[in-house]
Amino acid sequence: MSLPQFRILQPLTLDEACRMLDEHGSESMIIAGGTDVIPNLQMRLFAPRVLIDIKPLRELAKIELSRDGLRIGAAATLTHALETPWLGEKFPVLSSAISTIAGPLQRNMGTIGGNLCLETRCRWYNQSKFWRQSLGGCLKKDGDICHVAPGGKFCWAAWSGDSAPAFLALGAEVEIASAAGTRRIPLEKFYKNDGKDRIALARNEILTAVHVTASMSGRRGVYHKLRVRDSIDYPLAGVAVAMDVDSTGVCRDARVALSAVNPAPMLVRAAAESLIGKKWSRELAEEIAHVAIRTGKPLTTSGSTPVYRRDMVRVFTRRALEEVWNSAQQSS
Amino acid sequence: MADGVSQNGFSIIGKPLAMADAVAKVTGIGKYADDLYVPGMLIGKILHSPHPHARIRSIDTSRAEALAGVKAVATGNDARNPYGILPIGHDERALALDKARYIGDNVAAVAATSAEIAEQALDLLRVDYERLPAWFDPEESMKAESGWIHEQRPHNIEKEYHHVFGDPEKGFAEADFVAEERYYAGEVNQAAMEPHSTLAIWEPHDRLTVHSSTQVPFYLHRTISEVCEMPMSQIRVIKPLIGGGFGGKSEIIPLEVAACVLAKKSHKPVKITYTREEVFLAHRGRPITIVYLKVGITRAGKITAVQARVIQDGGAYCGYGPVTVLYSGALLGAIYDIANVRYDGFRVLTNKPACGAMRGHGTVNVRFAFESMLDQLAHQAGLDPLEVRRINLLKAPCITANSLRVTSYGLPECIEKVFERSNWKEKKGKLPYGKGVGVACSHYVSGAANPIVRSNMPHTTVHIKIDRDAAVTVYTGASEIGQGSDTMQIQIAAEVLGVGVNRIKLVAADTELTPIDLGSYSSRVTFMAGNACLNAAKDMRDQIFAAVAKKLGCPPADLVAKNDRIAHSTDSAKGVSFDEAVAIALEFHGALVARGTYAPPESARGGNFRGAGVGPSPAYSYSAQVAEVTVDPETGHVHVDKIIAAHDCGKALNPLTVEGQIEGSVYMGFGQALQEDMVWQDGRLMNPSLLEYRIPATKENPQIDSIVVESIDPEGPFGAKEAGEGSLAATIPAIANAIYDAVGVRINSVPITPDKILEALRAREKAGQRAETNSLTPEARP
Repeated sequence: MSLPQFRILQPLTLDEACRMLDEHGSESMIIAGGTDVIPNLQMRLFAPRVLIDIKPLRELAKIELSRDGLRIGAAATLTHALETPWLGEKFPVLSSAISTIAGPLQRNMGTIGGNLCLETRCRWYNQSKFWRQSLGGCLKKDGDICHVAPGGKFCWAAWSGDSAPAFLALGAEVEIASAAGTRRIPLEKFYKNDGKDRIALARNEILTAVHVTASMSGRRGVYHKLRVRDSIDYPLAGVAVAMDVDSTGVCRDARVALSAVNPAPMLVRAAAESLIGKKWSRELAEEIAHVAIRTGKPLTTSGSTPVYRRDMVRVFTRRALEEVWNSAQQSS
Repeated sequence: MADGVSQNGFSIIGKPLAMADAVAKVTGIGKYADDLYVPGMLIGKILHSPHPHARIRSIDTSRAEALAGVKAVATGNDARNPYGILPIGHDERALALDKARYIGDNVAAVAATSAEIAEQALDLLRVDYERLPAWFDPEESMKAESGWIHEQRPHNIEKEYHHVFGDPEKGFAEADFVAEERYYAGEVNQAAMEPHSTLAIWEPHDRLTVHSSTQVPFYLHRTISEVCEMPMSQIRVIKPLIGGGFGGKSEIIPLEVAACVLAKKSHKPVKITYTREEVFLAHRGRPITIVYLKVGITRAGKITAVQARVIQDGGAYCGYGPVTVLYSGALLGAIYDIANVRYDGFRVLTNKPACGAMRGHGTVNVRFAFESMLDQLAHQAGLDPLEVRRINLLKAPCITANSLRVTSYGLPECIEKVFERSNWKEKKGKLPYGKGVGVACSHYVSGAANPIVRSNMPHTTVHIKIDRDAAVTVYTGASEIGQGSDTMQIQIAAEVLGVGVNRIKLVAADTELTPIDLGSYSSRVTFMAGNACLNAAKDMRDQIFAAVAKKLGCPPADLVAKNDRIAHSTDSAKGVSFDEAVAIALEFHGALVARGTYAPPESARGGNFRGAGVGPSPAYSYSAQVAEVTVDPETGHVHVDKIIAAHDCGKALNPLTVEGQIEGSVYMGFGQALQEDMVWQDGRLMNPSLLEYRIPATKENPQIDSIVVESIDPEGPFGAKEAGEGSLAATIPAIANAIYDAVGVRINSVPITPDKILEALRAREKAGQRAETNSLTPEARP
């Protein structure tokens, strides 16, 4: 379907972007790479009257490392992140996750901010206007029935971004700007675990950057992603692990996060306390893997079966832990 | 070729040659239907039914018609004559007249000055539907007692065929091992990169010119004439560049008729291009197929009998349906020497988009079942599955149990080639757990020996003209759809006339300029248009030789055409350049016009039973494949490490394009084997996009080792047979059999997704535990 009619505004500064947002409020929408917004507009999942294009704002496109840590501007492209060599060395879980996002063309256009603000996805929602109308809509759009969990009043559309679990595993914070000023919140608090209302971003706010503290630098990590095609697909499940392993092979700190099995990317809370102070063992990894399963609640929002996706959360968690511990072993 | 063409000394035949349209495609200057634009052109859009089965009480078009920019609104009343690709299946209308029969069925169409206005107009159409009960499962649909999808098709059965050859009961009695299984193949779509597009231009003197993404311009020409009630002589059909067909453009697609109806109504040019979702709604892919199969073999590995009950979920319209279900029967056993075959085929209607003639038409899903079962029986009998295939080979030339004439049979060589190349002996059953190899074979027709509309006219005609510029212009009706049709004919004409390929100009698939060809389907083009082109080129060569021979004072039979010269075969100094030869010939004949035709010989047209018309072909291609896979037993993920595919194409006129066709077939088979599946829920397609309908991309594609086998068919042009479809069917069972070799489970349902493998492994584990418990003697139990 052709695009709906909209005006596109190109602010020259972040301040101007914030003023535009204030002015147009709920009739507007931020666009950066457009890899998520444009297909969704064609499907008429929404029809804002104004698009505010933040892609040209150079102040939002930087990737910097300082004494405070890492700061990635929201409008930095995914390719830019991958082609920043020190990023992968210091924060391997990030490059591991970002390299799995869509394909090279989408990564050239798509941004870190866009990936952190991705729309939640569901097979009953990401469809054309004709398709959705023939069904009478769904809880997330134009209807009052959830086809995933009939009778329920909660939208289960799945979080389908790959970079968010990696940032969660590094305890990242996000920087949010509005005409009123700037605030910083933990990334974990940014996600609301509601398919219909996914992120804690007010209508007049822009996600401007994501921060990782300096202490996370050098932390080992990896992201394992379940998908059918390595070339392009969204995750059907994803597991990110970041861990601090000392020279004796003992885990000093660890975080495990999941993607695509809930309406939000989610930390496996109990994982850290079980891991800290322990050495690698397969039994321990299996124990954590079973803990991870309890955090993931996949439903039939996407192609594969919930049973299989849960299974893979278990297998991938164990394998990711093994891989991270092995890499520590090899380098020590 | 029996007729004076030796296999030696070719200049152009057998040489790898880039396709004639490659530069235009790669640089983007080539024009596909949607690239076409003419002044005043309107954009057409189609309103689709939101209901799977509904009576249309009324359609209010007034608000849409009143919208500024809307130039025409059409409904079923504007094109009342039914049509369909088969004469026995005229059950379609481009726009529904009385009922909508699936979600996505075509209800009305609008033409407007922009796509946006046309889309707005669709929202203003008011359709009053009365919902009707619908059927989605073919085995349920067959039980329907009333309210049938088409009133003239009781119990929603489009067609059924029951064939018995030999004595299956006796055959099963002679078997030492008999297997019986149910196989299931999900629905797949061609997913051609170019979505369907049609530009219909209304012209002065009430003429209509139609540019359309079609594999069958001739059938489109006929259908427009019938539906628009215009004589064929007033209609011109042109096939532009095509971005892939694979059978998805081999019958009349609703947008083609809708564009013509809107053009006629508005007296304007109207273009309609499908969205990807609409491609899935128009569908015409491979149907869901359920195969109840029973095969018997002796201890020595000889197949004694085959019995199949095949149910195909055809969707809401006939399409090619009866042909599909007949191919499934005709090709089921005919690849091997099998005397006793029983076949019961059912084509069933359901409230879903119509299926069609997808690459490997009718043979793919039964081949998956048969080759899987042969593997299973070989293991039961303790035999090497590759050896079992050797044991059951035909002895060509021969006539199969179901009256198919086999003239050339390269399957034995295909099997030996993959046996050697795969190092089969060292690998089969000997690889570590998780790794495996599997073998399977397939075959296909080189064109249908009987035309869709029965007649004794040629299936294809080629004209060649040469004038004072000494350029050779070939006029052919054959449709280049990416498979190499144009290049193949250029090569044949250049070879016969002894000129370089640059001298050949090819005009193709334009009904005003080119003679008839039935179309690019059933892999008929190389064999049929190739032979017609060969005959036309020989006719032209004979005319030139007659004139030059007179001038040189020698018999025409002493002349050869080579290197842009016509010269004496033993005294090459005695000769003239091609340009001179043309001048001599024009002085002699006045005009240089040649023609060639092809129709399959009577002996190739098959038996006399009901349904015998489908399956016969002038020649058959053969393929043998070995797949090597790695299965992760913990995730069920299958990685296909390599596929070795040997294909008997008779003679590779252009080895480069033959290899391309083998690779393309294997790639499509790979997709169906592991990941492609149209997912339905209550008649609603859950994945109508290339994001969710997961064709493999380059990254997923396995390494393919293609081997060309040349059996030199006695009737093919230079010995050539088909190369574009036959390899697909072997890929799926080769992968399935390799999975069995790797982890010991048989998955009888495609696509073989990781969750199915895990489930089977777990079931085996449980059964294994049970078996262990059961095997304990009562005494030994605690």
